[in-house]
Amino acid sequence: MTTELAEKSVAADTGSMMIEVHRLTKQYGDFRALDTVDLSIRKGEFVTLLGPSGSGKSTLLNLISGMTSPTSGRVVINGVDATDMPTNKRGLGMVFQNYALMPHMTVFENIAFPLQVRGMKKAEIETRVAEVLKLIQLENVANRRPRALSGGQQQRISLARCIVYNPSIILMDEPLGALDKKLREDMQLEIKRLHAELGVTMLYVTHDQDEALTMSDRIVLMRNGRIEQQGSPETLYFKPDTVFSADFIGSSNLFQGRLEGEGDTVTLTAGKDRLAVELRSEAAVGPGDEAVVLIRPENLHIADGAIPEGTNVVTATLLDTVVLGGVVRHFLRTEDGRQLVAQVLNRSDRARPKRGAPVQLYWQVGESRLLKADPTFSKQ
Amino acid sequence: MTGRKLSRRLSFGALFVPVVAWMCYLFLLLPSTIVFPISFGNTKEMEFPPSEWSLDLYRQFFNDSAWWGAMTQSLFIATVTTVFTAVLSVPAVYALQRARLPMSSALTHFTMGPLLVPVIVLALGLYLQWAPWGGLDRNLTLVLSHTMLATPFMMISVGASLRHVDPALENAALIMGASKVRIFFRVVLPQLKSGIAAGSLFAFLISLDEVIVAYFVTGPETETLPVKMYSAIRWEVSPVIAAVSTLLTVVSMALAVALMMLERKQRSE
Amino acid sequence: MSSGDSYLSKRAGGMLIAPLFVLLLVFFVYPLLLTVWQSVYENGFTTRPYEELLTSTLFAKVLRTTFDISFTATMVSLFVGYPVALHLSRQPPGRRVFYLMLVMLPFWTSILVKSFALTVLLGHAGIVNQILGYLSGDTLHVTMVFNRFGAIVGMINYLLPFMILSILGSLLAQDPNLARAAQVMGAGAFRIFRKITLPLSMPGVIGGVIINFTLSIGMYITPALLGGRKDMMVANLVDFYTRQTLDWPLAAAIAVVLLVISGVLVALLGRVRGGSGTMGAMA
Repeated sequence: MTTELAEKSVAADTGSMMIEVHRLTKQYGDFRALDTVDLSIRKGEFVTLLGPSGSGKSTLLNLISGMTSPTSGRVVINGVDATDMPTNKRGLGMVFQNYALMPHMTVFENIAFPLQVRGMKKAEIETRVAEVLKLIQLENVANRRPRALSGGQQQRISLARCIVYNPSIILMDEPLGALDKKLREDMQLEIKRLHAELGVTMLYVTHDQDEALTMSDRIVLMRNGRIEQQGSPETLYFKPDTVFSADFIGSSNLFQGRLEGEGDTVTLTAGKDRLAVELRSEAAVGPGDEAVVLIRPENLHIADGAIPEGTNVVTATLLDTVVLGGVVRHFLRTEDGRQLVAQVLNRSDRARPKRGAPVQLYWQVGESRLLKADPTFSKQ
Repeated sequence: MTGRKLSRRLSFGALFVPVVAWMCYLFLLLPSTIVFPISFGNTKEMEFPPSEWSLDLYRQFFNDSAWWGAMTQSLFIATVTTVFTAVLSVPAVYALQRARLPMSSALTHFTMGPLLVPVIVLALGLYLQWAPWGGLDRNLTLVLSHTMLATPFMMISVGASLRHVDPALENAALIMGASKVRIFFRVVLPQLKSGIAAGSLFAFLISLDEVIVAYFVTGPETETLPVKMYSAIRWEVSPVIAAVSTLLTVVSMALAVALMMLERKQRSE
Repeated sequence: MSSGDSYLSKRAGGMLIAPLFVLLLVFFVYPLLLTVWQSVYENGFTTRPYEELLTSTLFAKVLRTTFDISFTATMVSLFVGYPVALHLSRQPPGRRVFYLMLVMLPFWTSILVKSFALTVLLGHAGIVNQILGYLSGDTLHVTMVFNRFGAIVGMINYLLPFMILSILGSLLAQDPNLARAAQVMGAGAFRIFRKITLPLSMPGVIGGVIINFTLSIGMYITPALLGGRKDMMVANLVDFYTRQTLDWPLAAAIAVVLLVISGVLVALLGRVRGGSGTMGAMA
């Protein structure tokens, strides 16, 4: 009985996976674009592939869509091995950066196209297209040509063209890359809304960390054809596992040096500064090792009076202050030339240190994070 | 005002250039247009300007089955040539740009070949080829020879059109589940419309006006209008040629205007 | 990165180009190879046709005539075509389309029509002679057709559009700011033309000259209809040996000579244009 139950739960488990990628590798000559990657995406999940260009995120997307075939490894879509399946049999949807709307078709015809491919009756096509046009609030442009519309409208139509045929997953390749900042933010919310309303699975590729943080249930950070780290936006932001993750997502202040001392709290010597830091077993570093301490800008405070207990203190010079609406960023430099960023909320009664003035900076030992040093990565 | 003054001073030989240019335009236009008034003259001798105006030459043309037949033959050959050229070249252009064939650029250059060889050489070669095989005086030989001559023009027009088609559209259609055949007919072909139209006009005009190859490979059964005209001008110089010329020029000019308008439209797209 | 591997397989691509390539092999490559073959094979390999060409006074004369006529026609086209291209390049785009139409409409008219019309225009009772007669009080009549003059005028009429378009291309490619900058620095109109416009348009000039010369040496219709008996050109000689004397190997040998000369010219053009630019002007 129990084994049967266990089997059932395993089946249910794989059944809830929309995409499973097993040890997927793509080699172009000497260049390994994707290196033995494993990834699973649950039904209804919004997953973002984030990384710099050349990190393998587009390759992974093309392997899932079938436009590229892998050197080795398997792609399973909705429980079916799709590795050797042609693209047009995979039942996917995709939104492109340049919208890829057919210029010779009206908006209606564009959205109707995938339904015609599926042999749907004319009357049903008309109701379905009308429905999605209503969903994206563009009912009035059905008979226009895509080129007559704005970039934002075109991208919404491109989305509608995917949604209309209920693909098992919608792939998005930098879909907002061609839009300006304001429109991009509106579209981020629009895509999130559609995801929530329709419960559709989405795999989103971007190199923009803000976009990834705003939209994703889970971020998969890629680097050199491998997955560097994956997790919720909060995890990646507050608990990066590597220096690369820490640096790629959000701003960061990094101190590199050798660890000394014993117990849970050890000392890291970086130039003139001796910093207390809590050991973490996952960081896999101990006394005697090179390590890095990460402090997010919002955890780095400028002293204004007494400095609290349990903090590290460094001295720096204020280089510049930038007001970004609700927040204020201070750019600073320590005596040994290290650049630091401190961020505080903007309040009308905030302290206003002068440019060029020496300031004391401090942070709670518990709000810094110890990372293993990465010899292949240097920030400065 | 300063702009005008500037261009005045810039134009070297302010009078020389436009005068030469206008004389040249006249020189180019005169031969193609002089046939119009002559064609409305009398049947006895060619005159410009005609001493009396009539439609006699056209009556003569349409009553002479030899002329009339050569005209329909030419239109028939040009039509079939156009269809053949399009049907053969459009898939070839598509494959050369999309299939990543080995040496695709060399193959593309090869299709330009007929343009680079003197027509008389091709005419002789085709004559030497088909004379012993009994292929002379056959419509198929003529049509396929003209198709060969028109191929580079179709390849250029359609190729330019296809370069403006975003390959992402085909990928998008593929992901949406469309078959390759459907993608070709529903996504690619509609976007090549103006390129195919331009190439077809080229092909039609080339076949309609072509003399040398037709002169070598046709015979009494397949004689085209240009071949008949060529012999007529050489041997009998009858005023009816003015009427034939006018008809041919009207067709050519109508097609040429259509072609230029198509190109403008393509450029503005 | 590109969108990945193409979805059109090499096999499918091969199948799509196959029909056209079969046509070109049968109707383009084979006739050319056959021509070469015919020129060296008569019941065994032979150099007879080429030897005969080398010793033939007729061939030497025709070759000379061909080069003379082609050279003259090309040079006149250049000196007439350059100012026309200059005129076109200085028009605002809208008006340029109109003037280009004046060049392109005759370009697309059948060469037969143009040759026929020129025989009428330049003939004994043609308008040109009517005007000359009127001006000279009926004393001056010039024979302008069925001689070399007629052939050359006909060829220029045919060749001019190619020359104009080739030069126009390189004039329009010039940055107008160069001339403006030179003017600001005090250069006069003629100096600007000589130091900037002319040198920068040389690729178009050279291209146009090569195109014109290549087209000229293969001309058939115009010399046959407008030239005299003594103005036979190489292409007409090919026809003569094919149909009149039925000496096919000799006709083939002449065609091979023509093919080689134009091949060299086309290769030269390729180097000037850096690619298959021959058609760029026409299309």
